[in-house]
Amino acid sequence: MEWLLWFSRPENTKPLALVIFFVTFIGIVVYVYGSKKRGKRLESYRDIPFLDDWQGTKDKQ
Amino acid sequence: MAVTTYSGAEQYNFDVVKKFAIMSLVWAVVGMFVGVYIASELAWPFLNFDSPYFSFGRFRPVHTSAVIFGFGGSALFATSYYVVQRTCQTRLVSDGMASFTFWGWQTVIVLAALSYVMGYSQGREYAEMEWPIDLLVEVVWVSYLIVYVGTIMRRKQPHIYVANWFYLSFILATALLHTFNNLAMPVDLFSMKSYSLFSGTQDAMTQWWYGHNAVGFFLTAAFLGMMYYFVPKQAGRPIYSYRLSIVHFWALSFMYMWVGGHHLHWTALPDWTSSLAAAFSILLLMPSWGGMINGIMTLSGAWDKMRTDPVMRFMIVALSFYGMSTFEGPMMSLKEVNALSHYTDWTVGHVHSGALGWVAMISFGSLYHMIPKLWETKIYSGRLVEWHFWLATIGIVLYIVAMWISGITQGLMWRAFDEFGNLQYSFVESVAAMVPFYAMRAIGGMFFLTGASMMAFNMFMTIRQGKRENAALEARLAAKMAQA
Amino acid sequence: MNFNFKHEWIETNIGLMAVLTMIAISVGGLVEIAPLFFIDKTIEKVEGVRPYTPLEQRGRDIYIREGCYTCHSQMIRPFRDEKLRYGHYSLAAESQYDHPFQWGSKRTGPDLARVGAKYSNEWHVQHLVAPRSMVPESVMPNYPWLLSTPLDISDTAARLEALRKVGVPYSATQAEHDANVTQFGETVAKQLHIPDAQKNLVEQANFGNYDGDRSGISEMDALVAYLQVLGTMVDFSKYADDAFVDDR
Repeated sequence: MEWLLWFSRPENTKPLALVIFFVTFIGIVVYVYGSKKRGKRLESYRDIPFLDDWQGTKDKQ
Repeated sequence: MAVTTYSGAEQYNFDVVKKFAIMSLVWAVVGMFVGVYIASELAWPFLNFDSPYFSFGRFRPVHTSAVIFGFGGSALFATSYYVVQRTCQTRLVSDGMASFTFWGWQTVIVLAALSYVMGYSQGREYAEMEWPIDLLVEVVWVSYLIVYVGTIMRRKQPHIYVANWFYLSFILATALLHTFNNLAMPVDLFSMKSYSLFSGTQDAMTQWWYGHNAVGFFLTAAFLGMMYYFVPKQAGRPIYSYRLSIVHFWALSFMYMWVGGHHLHWTALPDWTSSLAAAFSILLLMPSWGGMINGIMTLSGAWDKMRTDPVMRFMIVALSFYGMSTFEGPMMSLKEVNALSHYTDWTVGHVHSGALGWVAMISFGSLYHMIPKLWETKIYSGRLVEWHFWLATIGIVLYIVAMWISGITQGLMWRAFDEFGNLQYSFVESVAAMVPFYAMRAIGGMFFLTGASMMAFNMFMTIRQGKRENAALEARLAAKMAQA
Repeated sequence: MNFNFKHEWIETNIGLMAVLTMIAISVGGLVEIAPLFFIDKTIEKVEGVRPYTPLEQRGRDIYIREGCYTCHSQMIRPFRDEKLRYGHYSLAAESQYDHPFQWGSKRTGPDLARVGAKYSNEWHVQHLVAPRSMVPESVMPNYPWLLSTPLDISDTAARLEALRKVGVPYSATQAEHDANVTQFGETVAKQLHIPDAQKNLVEQANFGNYDGDRSGISEMDALVAYLQVLGTMVDFSKYADDAFVDDR
């Protein structure tokens, strides 16, 4: 259990936290922009606000 | 429910959206009027009229609560209920609860305003409401969360559109902030007076963690949700980049919560806290501008809309002000700049470039888009929209410029030394130097208020027109039915 | 490893999205606020800071009621000009009994953290009733009602009791009183005893006669008593110039 004490020191946890957050951020960016196919799929959701104009409400006239 | 009309009203609960939309305009006019009034009190102190009820100190929270929670809050309720229904293609999960959030929220604003002028205040900026009102806010907010999440849960569209993420994070964050910042001990069960649970330094940090995230989530994330729906709808083209919105959302949600400490530079708050907050404030520039770019670039390829569509112009100018104040903010969070700007009118100017330029303008744009749709008609007067746009823009510019000059002047006068190393100016000399700018600010505010009043009138006429058209249509229908 | 993450998992699952959002927004506050309660150095060790007397605390209530914090700060920063204008920079210790803190965010008027004992009671009364009669350029509102409104002292003890519950060392029992005698000395401890709160308040108001009118206790008595104690608790002549630098 001794090793847990390592986490109690701010000079250890600060860079650790920084690394974790930074890696997460890079991960998100790589995930989002990394693949053309995935990009295309993600971009397809842009059209949601327009969907209910076609099929949703029957606007008058 | 004998009569059914064949419009969106059947599928969606637009009734509560309409109510919130109307109240948002009412609070805009009321709150901005009070704002102009207190601005005038600073320029012409006789306006305090020796009355406790009108004195600046009690009246200022009336202004902030009426515009932030009354105008901004009602606009957010209205648009979020509208957006969540239309992007999920389903009706609100409970009409009763939605209606409760409406009446509850309006009661909160009225009670808050009355209690401030009566002298009940927690003495915490933007959280002045005393504990009974805080409890009511809590109940309304939980109902809001339930209605919102419940509606998303019964969506017909498998995907949750990005606007809803922002609204969701706003609802969650506001619940968190409101709860922890308002922990207090009432004097007794029948007393409006309470004392905060925390004191001194810890209390200051809690309050500004709340204070800046009221800006970050109430006044930014939520209005970004508005932006992600209404800008594409008004432009008639999808948002520029959905992928950018994913990065934007997570980065913004994560980073905003760190930055409150920059309100406490050079104070008794430990240095590491405010420095950390400043570091995150600088980083925050990236997601902020990401959002701005995403909004503005939505218009790419259709720039002529800027010229032809005044409603679009409201939205794009809002995004430009958003970009400007999210640049100014990180700059002011630098310790050296903050040493000059803090405690001065510069801060007030910065807040208003965000509040008027971004929050109010994007709300105006969205309401101009939404209200005619709700009442199934067209805007009553396009020329009034044009007028509103220019009055608002000029008003903001007057306001910000006045506050820049007065803020920087104040900051410089306070720290000026003469050749013998003594302070060059007494404090009151800096007060005297401010008066012309206070007058200029009040005039800027008057421009903005006039514009908002025009909008209220224009929308009132639009609604009336919509109702008449509807009645005429129904009459014709009834006649047809009778013939058949 | 066939781990194929899709952001769509989140985008189609409101529960997951809410949980992840909650995590994202909680980290910042936790990291910055929680340590303030545990790190010793947050509040300096300094002599003289005590809770407010009942009269001063009632004055503070009025300060908050009138929204004075919307124009006056109570937080002097460590700059040369502020030292000359206002005095020694504010310590965290000096507001440790302030529920809520009143550091403020705007100086439309001057900082008040050390306004105590700088002006006479008469000056304050006149200035609060009609600021421009003392400072012609001032834009402060007049507060004539403070002088004409009798101070409501009926719930003084209840107020101190509420403060005691949030951690201010007002004493309700003899044991707590004795502890206060050890910590603050006999005179101060007497003022902090809740059962005597109302009596203490009346005594201090009558003795101090802050509003210059002996016929009764007005809200002005309380507010001026509060203003006059601001920043006077710590005797900075006892400390070296850089005594508190490490605490920053």
